[in-house]
Amino acid sequence: MRLHYIGRKVGWALLTLVFILTANFFLFRVMPGDPVALLARSQRLSPEALQHQRELFGLDQPLPLQYLTYLKQTLRGDLGVSIISGDTVWSMVASRLWPTVLLVGLGTALAAMIGVAAGIRGGWNRGSTFDRGGLYSALVLYATPEGWLGMLLLIMFAGMLGWFPAGGYSTSSGSGATDVANHLVLPVLTLALGYVGQFMIVMRSSLLDVKDEDYITTARAKGLPDPLVRRRHAVPNAFLPSFTLIVLSFGFVLGGAIVVETVFSWPGIGLLTYQAIKDQDFPVLQAVFLLSSTAVIVANLLADVTYGFLDPRVQDV
Amino acid sequence: MRGAARAACVLSAAALVALTVGLAPAAQADSSSPAPSGSSAAKVLRIGMTTGIDNPNIWALNSATEFEAVTLQYDMLMKFSDKDLTAAPGLATGCDHNADRTVWTCKIRSGVKWSDGVPLTSKDIAFTYRFVIAKQFGYFSGYFTEGTTFETPDDTTLIWKSPTPTNGPMVPAWVYIAPEHIWGKYMNADVKDITSAKVVPVVSSGPYTMTGATPGQNWTFTRNPNFWGDRPAYDNIVFQLYTNQEAMVQALKNGQIDVADGLEGNLLPAVKALPNVAIQKVVSDFWVNMAFNFGGRAGKPLPALQDIRVRKAIEMAIDKQKIVDTVYPGAASPGETIIRPLSVFWHLDIPDDKVVKYDPAAANALLDQAGYTRGADGVRVDPKTGQPLKIRMPVSDDTAGSTPVGQLVAGFLKAVGITVVVQPVTAGKMYDLQQAGDFDAYIWYWSGDPDPNYQLSVFASSACPDLSDGCWKDPKYDAMFAQQQTTLDPVARQKIVKDMQQYVYDQIPGIVLAYPNALEAYRTDRVAGLTSTPEKDGYLMPSYTYTSLVTAHPATATSAETSSTGLPAWAWIVGIAALAGIVVAVFRRGGRSGDEQD
Repeated sequence: MRLHYIGRKVGWALLTLVFILTANFFLFRVMPGDPVALLARSQRLSPEALQHQRELFGLDQPLPLQYLTYLKQTLRGDLGVSIISGDTVWSMVASRLWPTVLLVGLGTALAAMIGVAAGIRGGWNRGSTFDRGGLYSALVLYATPEGWLGMLLLIMFAGMLGWFPAGGYSTSSGSGATDVANHLVLPVLTLALGYVGQFMIVMRSSLLDVKDEDYITTARAKGLPDPLVRRRHAVPNAFLPSFTLIVLSFGFVLGGAIVVETVFSWPGIGLLTYQAIKDQDFPVLQAVFLLSSTAVIVANLLADVTYGFLDPRVQDV
Repeated sequence: MRGAARAACVLSAAALVALTVGLAPAAQADSSSPAPSGSSAAKVLRIGMTTGIDNPNIWALNSATEFEAVTLQYDMLMKFSDKDLTAAPGLATGCDHNADRTVWTCKIRSGVKWSDGVPLTSKDIAFTYRFVIAKQFGYFSGYFTEGTTFETPDDTTLIWKSPTPTNGPMVPAWVYIAPEHIWGKYMNADVKDITSAKVVPVVSSGPYTMTGATPGQNWTFTRNPNFWGDRPAYDNIVFQLYTNQEAMVQALKNGQIDVADGLEGNLLPAVKALPNVAIQKVVSDFWVNMAFNFGGRAGKPLPALQDIRVRKAIEMAIDKQKIVDTVYPGAASPGETIIRPLSVFWHLDIPDDKVVKYDPAAANALLDQAGYTRGADGVRVDPKTGQPLKIRMPVSDDTAGSTPVGQLVAGFLKAVGITVVVQPVTAGKMYDLQQAGDFDAYIWYWSGDPDPNYQLSVFASSACPDLSDGCWKDPKYDAMFAQQQTTLDPVARQKIVKDMQQYVYDQIPGIVLAYPNALEAYRTDRVAGLTSTPEKDGYLMPSYTYTSLVTAHPATATSAETSSTGLPAWAWIVGIAALAGIVVAVFRRGGRSGDEQD
């Protein structure tokens, strides 16, 4: 693989990152309101106390100066302190990272495996009962709002049947792995069901595209059995779009799943983002958006580079 | 390309396996310290919460749950009484004052220890107060007049000296006492370093101390072996966060939690239908406010709203009972005065003969009489300016039910010829509108201390342009406000405070639309002995005092045992092994058949 191809891709990724650093800062400050003033009613703060809070977080400074301070701190790896909780943003984000990776990672992995397998089987046997049933189910699941699906599962399996907990990550601090696994079932199922449709539809569609290609006909003419034609000749050629989707989906893992995390009270990045938006907690918002954006940029970069490896022709584009 | 498909499959499968295997360290890593509730005999009270603890640090209080957590763990010099939230003995058994109330001498309990065994003395109290003043922790520092000093002649005596007469210790000052031996080293530190200090396991003096915290999830409190009061029945209390109210109700139903705190009114019917569940409707701790703009900021107020006859007609045209029945069914009462009913000692029930009753016909007559005649479109017109009575009314999204309340108000006022344009906005936007004076009326909320001073202060002229709703300015009210601040006899002050409520009610700078209840529910077959603060229709949870969680105990011998939901460990092991077996079999079969037939 040519080095300048990789260099070009890395360069663009870095440029995108710089743009996001800037957008992150200004985007949240466009929102109406003053994060410190929101404390006035909830904490019964006097005007003097409010001014003190503004000074503490540098919010009394002109915007360009705030921006420079933000850039300097971020480049030093200092994400600051939450306006609302007073805790360091690093520690807040770090504590939410693993639950999100666990939930969204498992959900994505499950959905990818099931979706791709179902897409292959359905696409190869187009028009079969499995294909029709699978396609309709995929479309319905793809169109179903995750929050609604989650509520249904929650009411059924936690409320009516009582099989699984109604929400949360664990029963108490220091709970065992089984306890966490039991809490994980319903949110992972919701995510996997929500995501599976896209993987199935993309895989099925690209398999249908290659199914009638000449090289497939040739393989059949050679007398290769049908399963082997599918596995060795059709699927590998039809897999590129699904591969991209899978890699990009893993890039979104760090962004969390706001709706599902909220429905199941899952203490992940999604829930932290939701709360930070409500509170206009700039330092936390900047950190979670930077984190999730970086993950997507890295996933894109990986997909690009791997693409070049899988199909050398794209290196010339 | 063949490699790509297999690589992606392997990637997904590897992610699946790695994350599943990762559950074990995850479960271990989530605890700041092991909770001693692991013993099967431990009695655990589980409380579902709708807001979490972002930071367990006592100097970083924000949410209601953080206040409850701190109340459960710490003491005050004088605490809120369980009867009516006035001052009662806390760490101090009592405080005496000199003739002009500039010097208060408080007697501190002897033999009190922090949870780590270090004695708690008057020096801890003096340190806490000095620390709060030095660092300007806003929610605490307002209780000290400028120049206040503290002396500790011995371990059981605190002398509070104020340059001006004060009721300081007896308000009571809502400041939790922190240990000097933990926080003393932060006296010269930056506030950000103080609020970001790690504090779990917490050193405190109350009945429980926080020993475990899973951020965004649950917080474990363990009984403090050195607590100076009665021994609580529960070994551990767990606060469990539910960001989804419906999920919390399901958890209560299934016994995953014993108490649900902070329920929303719309879930009341669902909770009522649950067996063995009691509901506590807490008398209102906040009120829904319809405020009018009187100018004093950049925006121009609507001239008609400066006319008290128009404001009175508006109040007569609004059916508060219908608002309560429609928006907060069974979970609110019609609003009256600016001091909410939870402040039992200070709240005024408006006498029947002075209540402005819902009477749209009288409202119409009053407006007719004042010259606000209807135009061709049915909307009344201001006779002085010729402007139609059209009110721009933002409603803030941080006030429960504000939008439907706004819509109901618009409907009521339409019937008397006043147009209301309801604008739902975020709390942030509402703040911008308020500061710019860019509204005619708005719907927002107010809450405050049990002591009425703060709530009364936001209606004084001096609160404009900062905290005041619409910059209503009234010299007579200002004089009463100053008088209640300097009247130190509680009964005499109570009379002034009640007069002030009546005055505001009559002058109508705004309309107190509703007093929504806070709702708590608990399983009667699992927990008993919860007590209410204040005495009548108060909180069972530690909003103001920890008494209820000291007196609480399991309803039966086995009711404090953790109810288990979900699959047992063996089922998970079998399931994962079966899944791994299937994956391996599929891969091996695929590889063999491919090799044989290619």
